[in-house]
Parts: sequence; C-alpha cells; structure tokens
Amino acid sequence: MADPSKTDDSERIFSELLSPSELFAARSRSRKLPVRGQKDFYPSGCTQQKQRLQNSLDEHWELVSEERVERLGNLVRGIWNPSDQIVELQSPAGKFWQTMGFSADGKQCLQPEEALYLMECGNLQVFHRDLPLSIQEGYETFLSSSQLSLQQYQVFGHLKRLGYVVSRFHASSVPSLYERQLNLPPSRDRGANQLKRKRSPSPEATATVASSPRPSEKQEDSTNPSSAQDKATNHSQPSAAQQPIPESHRPPADDDVTGRSWWSDGLVPPEQQQDGGPSPGGPNSRWDFLSIQFPDLGARDTPGPLAPPDPALLPGAMAVGVCSVSSWLRRLNTWREKQPGGNQRRRREEEEERARRRTGPDREVQGCRSWAEYRRIMERRRKGSRRSDRRPAHLWEKDVTPLHDPRQGTSTAELLEKISVVKPSRWGDKSCSVEAVGTWQISFDVHQPAVNTEFRKSSPGMPYSRMCVCSFDGPVPALGELQQVSQQSGHVPVTMAVVDHGDISFYTFKHFLLPCDLPQ
Amino acid sequence: MTEAAFLAPRRRATVYEAYEAPFPVPRSDAEAMRCRESVYRADLVNQQVLVRDPAHIELLYGQGYFGKGILSRARPDYSLSDRWQEFEGRQIPVISKARYEQLLSWRRDYLLSKGMDEEAVNQILVRLSEPIEPATESEEAGLAQSEDSSQKKRKRSSSIDEQRRKYCPYQDRPHTDPAPRTGSSPVDDSSPMADSSPVADSSPVTDSVLDSAPGTDPAPEYVLVEGDSDEEDGGSGGSEVNQGGVRRLPFSTTEVLQLTLEEAFFLVYALGCLSVHHNQKPLSISELWGRFRGVQPGFESSYAAYHYYRSRAWVPKPGAKYGAHFMLYRKGPPFYHASYSVVVEQVRSSGVSLRPFTWRSLAALSRITANVSKELMMCYIIYPADLSEAELTSPLCLHRLTVQEVVIKRWISSRERAELDDI
Repeated sequence: MADPSKTDDSERIFSELLSPSELFAARSRSRKLPVRGQKDFYPSGCTQQKQRLQNSLDEHWELVSEERVERLGNLVRGIWNPSDQIVELQSPAGKFWQTMGFSADGKQCLQPEEALYLMECGNLQVFHRDLPLSIQEGYETFLSSSQLSLQQYQVFGHLKRLGYVVSRFHASSVPSLYERQLNLPPSRDRGANQLKRKRSPSPEATATVASSPRPSEKQEDSTNPSSAQDKATNHSQPSAAQQPIPESHRPPADDDVTGRSWWSDGLVPPEQQQDGGPSPGGPNSRWDFLSIQFPDLGARDTPGPLAPPDPALLPGAMAVGVCSVSSWLRRLNTWREKQPGGNQRRRREEEEERARRRTGPDREVQGCRSWAEYRRIMERRRKGSRRSDRRPAHLWEKDVTPLHDPRQGTSTAELLEKISVVKPSRWGDKSCSVEAVGTWQISFDVHQPAVNTEFRKSSPGMPYSRMCVCSFDGPVPALGELQQVSQQSGHVPVTMAVVDHGDISFYTFKHFLLPCDLPQ
Repeated sequence: MTEAAFLAPRRRATVYEAYEAPFPVPRSDAEAMRCRESVYRADLVNQQVLVRDPAHIELLYGQGYFGKGILSRARPDYSLSDRWQEFEGRQIPVISKARYEQLLSWRRDYLLSKGMDEEAVNQILVRLSEPIEPATESEEAGLAQSEDSSQKKRKRSSSIDEQRRKYCPYQDRPHTDPAPRTGSSPVDDSSPMADSSPVADSSPVTDSVLDSAPGTDPAPEYVLVEGDSDEEDGGSGGSEVNQGGVRRLPFSTTEVLQLTLEEAFFLVYALGCLSVHHNQKPLSISELWGRFRGVQPGFESSYAAYHYYRSRAWVPKPGAKYGAHFMLYRKGPPFYHASYSVVVEQVRSSGVSLRPFTWRSLAALSRITANVSKELMMCYIIYPADLSEAELTSPLCLHRLTVQEVVIKRWISSRERAELDDI
C-alpha cells in the first residue's frame, strides 16, 4: 500500500498505513464495474475501434491493479508452517471458519489453498519468518508443493467465488461397501416387526383351514391392491417371512369373480387397526417390490397353473398344492346373456363384428364359414409357402448362420431377446474393468453453497460432487481412468475440471444403460 | 460415479407417417404366411450395398428405417415428376421441356468433364434426345440405330432385353402397382450418372466407378416431354427439343436404397432377411464379414454398437451430420428427434483408438451436441484380453464383446448456483 505523498528521493518509505485523505479517497472510489458493450467480431482497422479497445484495456488494467484497503483489525493473523504445509492462525478466525479450515492440536489451521484464497479476499495476513507475505509470494510459496498445483488452486478459487463449499478430498472418507452394508434399519421398523410376529398365527390358521386347495396369501403388498389373482410369490427379505401381514386392503368387490370369501372382514379388523398403522409406512423400507412377481393371468397365451408358494412362508405343517387357474379364466370375459326382444338383431350384428375383428385382417379367413375351411386355407398356404420359400443356402448351409429365421413369425420381444448377443456391462463390475493408463486423482469435495448456515464442518454429509482437475492440454480420460476415478469416489459423481490458462470447463462422465424400448 | 438420468425423447411436432413394424420380418405365423418372400436382395457394388427392387425398398425402409434412398433426403420417395402417363404398358413421368433441357445440359457437362470434345458430345446428345416412336419394333430399331453400328452391338441389344427381363423381376407388375414411382422403366445402374445412352459413351469413357454388375447394360428410361406447342408425336426432331414427345432420359432416375455396411450386416446376420450378392453371386455371412472389415477399419466395433442398439429396439442412423458415429432415434426418425449422439470407442489390449479425443475436440463435439439438444454418449466396446485376431475374422466374436455407455455432459458451475438461489 504505497503512500505517494511521502516519496523521498533518497529513501522511499512505503508505509502501509494511509493518511486520512488517502483513506477517504480509497473509500469513495467508485464501485461501478465497467459496462460490457457490444462485441466486435473482427478487426475493422479503423482508429475508433482501436481507441475503444485501448480504452477498455486501460480500464481493465486499472481495475486489476487497484490497491485493496483493509482495516488492520479485520485481518486475521496466520503463520505459515512449511514443514506441515499449513497455515496456523494466531488470532481468532472470522466468518469464514464456518466452511473453511480445521483444528489441529487445539489451534485453528488452514490449508494452503484456503489461505491463499483468503489472502486474495483480504481477510487474512500470513506471516513467514515474521514478515507478511504478499500475494505474489503467497502464490510462490503455497503453490510450489506437489500437493497443490496452480490449476487446482484456480478451480478452488473459481468454485469458492461462486459460493460452493470446497474441501480437500480424503480417500479415507469414502465409506466402503462393508460400512454401508452395516447400516441398521431404523428402530420404528423393528417395533412393527415384533408386533406383527405376535399377531400373525390366528387369521392364517382359520383362513387356510377354510380354503385348502387355494393358495393362501402369505405376504400382502398393502400398497398395491391389485386384482384378485395376485399373490406375492418370491420375496427377497427373509425377515418378512416371520410376520405375514394379513391381507387388509383388498377390495371385496372382486370376491364375486373368484368366489373367495374366507378373508372376510370379520376376521381381520382388529389386526387391521393395529397393523394397518405400521404396514403402509414401515415395510416399505424392507420390501423389495421390484422382485415381487405377479402372474399375468390376463395374457393371451394362458399361463400354466400357479405354482405353490414357498413352504418356508407357510405356517406350521401346511401343504399347498398347485392352483389351476382355468376355472377362473373361464369366468373372465364372459358375455352377458342375450336379451329377448328387439335387441337380438343388434346383438347378433355386434357379435359378428367382434368375430370379424377376432379373425384378423385376413380377408380369406373372414370369408370362411367353418373350421374345416379355415384349416384348408392354412394348409394351402403352408404348402405354398414351403414350396416357394426355401432357406437360402448361402446363408444357412455355411459355418455361420443368421440368428433368426424370418420364415417363422416371432413377436418383437422374443426377437429382441434372440438377437441380444452383445451384452451391456454393469458399471463397477470387476470382470469388465479396464486397466487405466496413468493415475487420476480426485482433488476436492464440493458441497452446495451453505445457505442458512446449515453446513456443519464436522458432519458435512455427502458432497454434491468431487472434482478431478486436469489440464486442457492433457489427455482425455478413457474408460479405464473413468472406472478408476469412480472407484475412488464411491457413490459421489465426479466432475472433470479442465483448466485452460485460467478458463475452466467442467465435464461430467456418467455411466448409463439405455433402456430397452419395446414397441407395443 | 452416478448413473446418468434418462430423459424421454422429444416427439416431433407433426408426424406424417404411421409406425409399421420395428423390423422387416413377420411378427406372427399368420403374417409369415401372408408375405410372399422372406429374404430380400441387395447387391454389393463398389463397396456399397444397394437394394434395387422397389418392393424390397419399400419394406426395408418402412419397417425399421434401414438405409437411405440415393436420390432422396431419407425415405426413398424420389420421383421425377408428379404426373405420369402410360406408354407401352408402363408408366413414364411427364416433365416440361425446360426441365428436359436442363437434364440434357447436365449430361453435357458431365461428358465434357470426362474430356470428350464438343462435337462428340453434341452428337451423343442429339441421339439421346431423339423422340421415341410408340411402336415397340421401332423402339428396338431406334435403339439399334442410335448405337454406333455393328452387329455385335445389335446382338447385345437383344441380350439387353433379356438381361432386362432377368434382372428386374418386377417388370410385369406395372399395371398392378399403383404407386407411380415404381412404374418407371427397368432397373439401371447404381449411380445416377451412369451411361444410359448405349454403348457409344461407354466404351471410350467408361469410368471404372460406373462399372456396374456385368450383364446389366443400362437400359434407357423414357420420359414424356411436354413442348410449348401442342403435343405432337415424334417428328423429325432436330438437335433442339422443340417438340413434345417421348424421349430418353439422359441418366437414370430410378430410386435405389443404399444401406450402410452395419445395416446390411445386421439384416443378413441378425434377422436373416437379406442376402447380398456380388457379381451375381450370393455371399455367405463369413465372406460378408471379411469384406466389410476390409472396407471399413473398425467395422467390428461399430457393428457391435449398431447391433447392441438395435437389440434394445432403438434405431441408429449414421451420424456424420453431427460428428458422431450414430444418432439414436426412438421408433424412427419421423416420430421423435434423435435423443443421443453416439461415438463408438473400442477398448482393446492393442490400445488403438477409433477416434482419439483431445479436450479441444471433445469440447467442440459437446458444444455441437448441446446446440442440437442431444446428449453425447460414448459407447465403449470392450474386447476381452484373450480375444485373438483369428477369432475376429468370424462374426461369432460378437458374442464375447461387451458394451459400456457413458454420457458426457458439460456442467456449468454458475447455472447451478443461480437455480439454487431461485429456490
């Protein structure tokens, strides 16, 4: 902070303290930022343009070379410790302590990048060998180590100025797979478990006695009341087997079709009230709904009889056989009885319409009057097609044959299944991991800006992203390096910060599995 | 690293087509019995795979959006004119005199660029634009006359007829076929600038590129030119086209469907519904694989990616417009905008990269992709370490490859901050 009024020819003493007039001048400096005008896209060579350019460059230079004025009392003192590469604070830290810095041996300390950032902000003064460091010296001293490079500092500064909370990355802070598996379920669930275990036997015993040939409902998906035929067949949680929840929320209207009435309201309500509470909310966290299979009994090709449930899920020594669904299916899609009177003709026409639609767009088939005719038509066609359409020898008689024969009609889903020869690999799968060339290190954890001071340094939580800094002139990470970096980071997404002489671009590389797009 | 979120594809504002089927193969036994032929035919000509039969073209593009018409933007629906008229049992287009003269001038420029002198070019054009008499005999005679002379060529003209009949099996369909575009005259060469005027041009200035499959000497196409005066038939016809009448077209305008190598191999290998012929000889799958690998380096990887996307029921189309290997469409280009721009990269022990990236080129590609509202996806084809070169010569090596997809997006630091502030 030069004091121009004291220039002496023999000794130039630069005093850091400002005289009152200088202070007033500094305080009343205009705070306006230069206005950004319209960009010129190419040099037109005229003097006006050159003049404008020169003006803006001068303004830029003035701004950058502006001296910063601070109250001495506001500056926090710190001492640089070259052996540990940290800055120890001598005076209490200010507001920045909420998001930056750490404590060691009872003393408040800062990382070198944080210290340099605060120096540039004008909050901190770092002393080394009893002399304060200038910004230039700060850059030289703090960024010379192998731990922190200029590019990393540029990324740090950029993100901090935008408000993010940036801290150094420690590989040990990533929880391992085992630690994540050790997470215990919340206690509310355990209470519900015990409750249910006590209550389970009675409704099951009475209900299943009443209807032995039918499969008894073991686990009820209380949040998915579906059609009457569903039942949860496989259930991944072994703990759930101990407390089968009585089916409570089934709409009774479906009884008419299936004729089941053994789970009428008389048995269930007392349990319903008590178990209905925890069941919607509680089991959600334990039940793996994606693995519950519901047999689709409305499908075109009739499925076989329903398999008996797992004996582990049945109470006592009960044996349940296979359930045949044919009787139920016969009752589906039944037409209403013909009404006598004038509606008869209309009904006949409607039925013919339906029959025509059922036989499909084939004109010949629509025209035939009996099954014998239909069979003759099909036979004729089959013979005809077989005569004219032989499999091309050059495709089928050689060593490599096609994956599919177009002479057979196959549904799209089956066809896609057949031709799925090139398989996708799962991210994190050890067998498909590729070796990496070179090592890429994660530098920083980035948390979202600390609004409402809800960020706690002691337990910051999962970072929003992790930064991996690289140079614009360097190589682009290939698959091996991406896998390596994502392994280091665990579940947190990694962003590549590419530094090009101060300009920073961020790119995210996220793995992806394209969903299969089955047409109807 | 977290998984990228899947954004639903954007539907196009107006859809002019109906969706037929994902693949040109029957989906049920009833359909199988209804369709006449299950295997379509393509020809390998000069390292290009072309489908010429109009019925096959229709089916291949309509069900699955395979290929591109060489005279059209995407769907092979090029037709010289909107009006058609019957001539000797087939439909020929009707164009104006000015248009015909324009076509002749293109032909003239082409011949001049080949190095022929003005005189010869003028002669050829005069012969070309002679009006054609309706009677079939005179047509044949006219054909023979307009040729340079000798008997061997006359024999050839009759053999042309036979070739014509042999090569285009659909010729007896012009009445039944309602669509005018397929009613045009018999099939022609692969390239539109092929010699349609008989032999005279072909012998001195045959371009090796224009050499089509032997036995298919180009047969002329006819067009009805409407003159300024009332329609008069034939006439003496000087060097100028000042009267209407049926004339020969200077070059072929038959639409041909061109398939990329990946599409062709997919149809042959995965669906078994295409057979590729080279010099009239059908090629087996291994031969085809070998040829394609020779033509296009990195074919194994790009085909593996193509096969993978097709087996997930997405439609990959060539992505050269956006600097990528493929553009992925859901259902097909007419229905949705492309969702992803795919760049294929191979991960092999030999370490050769199909498309080495620098940050600069990646930034450029990312910027282009963002500007067209698509997502940039890298498709890594992982080769197992023990896959030998010998195994690669057979397409069965595909069973051992795996695919990893990575979506690259640019993160803008300030935007996230601004969005958070709004909350």
